[in-house]
Amino acid sequence: MEVMLTVEGLEKSFKDKQALKGISFEVRKGEIMAILGPNGAGKSTTIRNIMGIMYPDNGSITFHNHQGNEIPRNKIGYLPEERGLYKNVKVMDILLYLADLKDYPLDKAKERILMYLKKFDLEGKEKVAIDELSKGMGQKVQFIGSILHEPELLILDEPFSGLDPVSQELFKDEIRSLADKGTAILLSSHQMNLVEEMCDRLFMIQNGQKVIYGTMNDVKTKYANFKCTIHGRNSLAVLENIPQVQRVEQKDDTSILFLDKDVEPNSWLKTLPETVQIHELKINRISLHEIFIDIATNKNLIQEAGDLHA
Amino acid sequence: MRNSMKVAKWEIRRNLKNKSFVIGLFLTPILILGFSLLGTLFDDSEEPTETTVFVNDEIGVYDSLQETVDQFDLNWILHQTDLAENEIDAELENGENAAYIFINNQAFENGTIPVYTTDEIDSDFSANVQLLAGPLQQFRISQLDLTEEEIAVISGDVVFDETSAEDYHAGEEESVVTENPMEKLVPGLFAGVILFAIVVTGMMIFQSASQEKKDKIAEIILSSVTPGELMQGKIIGYFVLGIIQVAVLLAFVVPFAVTKIDEPVLEYLFVPETLLLVLIAVLGYLLFASIFVGIGATLADMSTSGNFQGMVMMLPFLSFILISPVLNDPNGIIAKVGSYIPFTSPGVLIMRLTTLEEWPWIEIIIALVVLIISIFLFMKLAGKIFKVGILMYGKNATPGEIWKWIRS
Repeated sequence: MEVMLTVEGLEKSFKDKQALKGISFEVRKGEIMAILGPNGAGKSTTIRNIMGIMYPDNGSITFHNHQGNEIPRNKIGYLPEERGLYKNVKVMDILLYLADLKDYPLDKAKERILMYLKKFDLEGKEKVAIDELSKGMGQKVQFIGSILHEPELLILDEPFSGLDPVSQELFKDEIRSLADKGTAILLSSHQMNLVEEMCDRLFMIQNGQKVIYGTMNDVKTKYANFKCTIHGRNSLAVLENIPQVQRVEQKDDTSILFLDKDVEPNSWLKTLPETVQIHELKINRISLHEIFIDIATNKNLIQEAGDLHA
Repeated sequence: MRNSMKVAKWEIRRNLKNKSFVIGLFLTPILILGFSLLGTLFDDSEEPTETTVFVNDEIGVYDSLQETVDQFDLNWILHQTDLAENEIDAELENGENAAYIFINNQAFENGTIPVYTTDEIDSDFSANVQLLAGPLQQFRISQLDLTEEEIAVISGDVVFDETSAEDYHAGEEESVVTENPMEKLVPGLFAGVILFAIVVTGMMIFQSASQEKKDKIAEIILSSVTPGELMQGKIIGYFVLGIIQVAVLLAFVVPFAVTKIDEPVLEYLFVPETLLLVLIAVLGYLLFASIFVGIGATLADMSTSGNFQGMVMMLPFLSFILISPVLNDPNGIIAKVGSYIPFTSPGVLIMRLTTLEEWPWIEIIIALVVLIISIFLFMKLAGKIFKVGILMYGKNATPGEIWKWIRS
């Protein structure tokens, strides 16, 4: 796949705090690449550096497919985390202005605005003033504004925050279909379930540093080991003595057994002692959500798994 | 530059579609005209009060008094009366706007003419009645049997003719042409109105920059244009809005002025001097606009502006403080210093150039150079402040922070 954007060795400091400590990744045509991380990890700072809204202290940002040093603003769509719209203007006016700033032909823009408004259940709202829209509607208009000019690279900072599940689904489908049509998409999010469902690759960041970087499948097989959840009254010692169990988390009658990376679920199940009480048993992989929480709370789950990877 | 123009166009269109701006656009000239009309209304209410003046003339000067009244266009109705001084009690008590003048030989020789007025009388009457002293004096002199020459000497006034040193020298080269004050005043007023209108509209930049932060649209816009382009666009946009305001103002005021004032106002307006004055006004706008746009970007919310920002907002009004010292002495030290301080120089220059007969070209050029350099510097500073400030959410910047942005 063709690389659209390369970020290399990005460093940025605010006052005495280093916000980014050498971030490197790339975004390719037609893929959805996610930047994940807890609040304050440096996601928005990374994105703002890419957009030229901040300037990195060190490192380089390269837009392929583009000559010269300037940021090809017209080919990028951007939905910032802190976003809003002028209050007392009409939906159509503001969207046409945004398209005009991107040098997109206005007649074509008009057509696309009407098409998207219809798609996002805002048909007939083009003459309504922004401050008469609900928050969710406003977010849809902002999203339309960022994709209106058919960008080659779309950067979405927390696109799902504040959306209801129906709208989330709508956004997700649209982002997926844009990627399928060849748009390179970089998005940051807290909604792990959505990221897990839709992203091709991910970059997890903590304290301005890379924690995980790879395709969703790689990450899952590399980092997301199997875990076995057992409902029933069992003693911790018994469970910990089962082979290939790394550690056990126990709460009331529920025990979660974190298993070794190379465990074979079928054969491992046979090693369960007869004495273990099982009301219910579930084997699945550690979800992205759990990995995220682990990183955010500085548990060492990933590092243990990561050691194996290393 | 293309992007700046797009931003400018947007700001113009957005405001012209905004009801409160449009209302303000027309309200300003209507208010100005309204107040000036209100003034003339009060004048008019006093004007038609005619004073009825009864003259008991025992020596035959009534005709020459009538002549004087006609000559000075006094709003008097002159009547002859036979009533004596002790018979007018009732008339004075019941009458309105009436006066009784008794001219008899005794009074004439004393030189003191008794005048009785009703309680209610035109406020100008006591000044106007003194005008009658002229013909009476003439009449008295003519009674003295003097030769014509003697009469001419006596009735001629003695006046002092003052010439200052400057005029003394000027007088050697050319005779001073008495200029009509309106001729200078019209271009000056015009430039003053432009300066005032565009600076006031320019204050909307302040609001616009801070609103952009509050609405959180700044970052979206900055993904398409650079902060510099956004800033320039705003300055150009609000300049055009200011000019639109001036145009609307003039469309109301000029026809009014042309019909109401007996001077060829338009002829006075279209002179080369107007160009320089308007240039000064435009420079003044650019200076204040760049300050406003920078400071506006440091505010999260207009209503919470701190002392520092409030003081900056007052800068354009510094010139108002200087109005009276500058007009009193357009070549004085305050006027000269005021011309060199960038914040006051547009206002002070316009005032001085309006009042001065001879323009001090060297001072004007120095002042303009200072002003242009300041504009350049302030634009640079505003650019730096704007770039950081516009993306800082949730709080107002402190002067310390602003200083740090400037130095970075």
